[in-house]
Amino acid sequence: MATIIDVPEEKVLHVNNFEFTYASSETPNIKKLSMPIAKNCVTALIGPSGCGKTTLLRSFNRMHDLYPGNTYEGEVLFEGRNILDAKEDLIQLRTKIGMIFQKPTAFPMSIFDNVAYGLRLQGIKNKSELGDRVEKALKDAAIWNEAKDRLKHDANGLSGGQQQRLCIARAIAVEPEVLLFDEPTSALDPISTQGIEMLVSELKERVSIIIVTHNMQQAARVSDYTGFMYLGELIELGETEELFVTPKEKLTEEYITGKFG
Amino acid sequence: MSVVIDKVFALSTKIIALLVLLIVAWIFTVLLQHSMESINAFGFDFLTETKWAPNLEKFGALPAITGSVISTFLAMLLAVPIAIGVAIFLSEIAHHRLKAPVGVSIELLAAIPSVVYGMWGLFYFVPIIRDLFGGLGIGMLTAGIVLAIMILPFMAAVTRDAMDTTPDILKESAYALGATKWDVVKDIIVPYAKAGIIGSLILALGRAIGETMAVTFVMGNVHKISTDLTAPATSIPVTLANEFTEADTDLYFSSLFELSLILLVISFTIISIAKFYFLRRKRSL
Repeated sequence: MATIIDVPEEKVLHVNNFEFTYASSETPNIKKLSMPIAKNCVTALIGPSGCGKTTLLRSFNRMHDLYPGNTYEGEVLFEGRNILDAKEDLIQLRTKIGMIFQKPTAFPMSIFDNVAYGLRLQGIKNKSELGDRVEKALKDAAIWNEAKDRLKHDANGLSGGQQQRLCIARAIAVEPEVLLFDEPTSALDPISTQGIEMLVSELKERVSIIIVTHNMQQAARVSDYTGFMYLGELIELGETEELFVTPKEKLTEEYITGKFG
Repeated sequence: MSVVIDKVFALSTKIIALLVLLIVAWIFTVLLQHSMESINAFGFDFLTETKWAPNLEKFGALPAITGSVISTFLAMLLAVPIAIGVAIFLSEIAHHRLKAPVGVSIELLAAIPSVVYGMWGLFYFVPIIRDLFGGLGIGMLTAGIVLAIMILPFMAAVTRDAMDTTPDILKESAYALGATKWDVVKDIIVPYAKAGIIGSLILALGRAIGETMAVTFVMGNVHKISTDLTAPATSIPVTLANEFTEADTDLYFSSLFELSLILLVISFTIISIAKFYFLRRKRSL
């Protein structure tokens, strides 16, 4: 069946018998899935299109709640509670578990206001505090040098790679515990992709990262643990190197050697 | 052979397209031509004169212009907040089962002919206004309300369409930072759809200012500027609709043409501004 290792590190998230069903579906799109997410590590989720990796990722910040009729079962433990609980404060949860999307999503406002957005939502109004935290976030996202002279300019004037780093700055400005990356480089050129990958490796010092990617090399380069998903199930979770060099499951081996996918 | 067909096709579409330009120029020329007598007789005073006395051969457009502007302003004042509210509800708040039926009914409302709004206004709103504010119930206030109800569906539908163009991923990005629905509407959707919203407001404004049938019933056709919104008044289209059949002198006739010329210029200006917004939006996409 499935080979899922336990991680030696502290677990930031713990998925237990998780099931997810889209409103339009009669059977679960993710079936009885359990996995640990190690703290201050990068966990990659790979698998063919439609395997449920993005669906799983979007469950961790309850993005599916924006659309009616989707249902969760089981548990996702975070800070000692099940975040799938109906009483979970989603506004709070999403400040703790941030997300980076497939395409850069700069808001129609200035660079500064983009990064300050999440901080202002939390009620931070003090100008110098906002300024400091925006600067720090931009530096941490390695875009300060390009942005510092045009903080007041429209963020849509930045290039795609710069915008994606701006989105990362915006997400880390609110100091989340976990960052979810949903194929963050699928719309970017190779140079920008490299920049984002380096950033992901640096950021894990402070946040735990889960990254969904179509690109197996990317998973191999940036992650500590890799999970292989197929048809809504987690087939294998292992240390990245081990999973790619000596996969335990036949399906994993077939996928990473390009026999299907 | 196919090259010839292509050329013939290209030429014929070109001619048809140029025909549109020609018609616009033609209408403008005819209006200008027929207005000349009035323009020569009154000059710019036509725009500022408040008397409209056909029996004295004295014509001033100010009451009609004021009537058009104020009734339109009133209509916008009432319709804009409601239309934007409806649009926000439909695009972001409404349950998906409510979205389609309400959306379709709004589009149906937008398809009601304006004369029906006028009759409905006369038989329904005039008595209400009369009871509430006294007077005849016919006048600027009633006209403003009927106009507001008439332009509201169009405004709401187009504003909703503009808001719906906001990419889901952009909204999700804001939600992912801990934004509430209200935050997303005010910080993401409205700024993103701003050009489209303003465009829809201006198009509605253009429709309101040129509207004839809906207000002819409830305006009163009295050429008088009054501070009392419930007093009977007139607007440019109302004057034109009521008085062309009575224009017994050349100067009267010409003055009516000059009024229509003024209306045309106002509408052109408004549509040009709207176009400017739409074009700018297209370029930025």
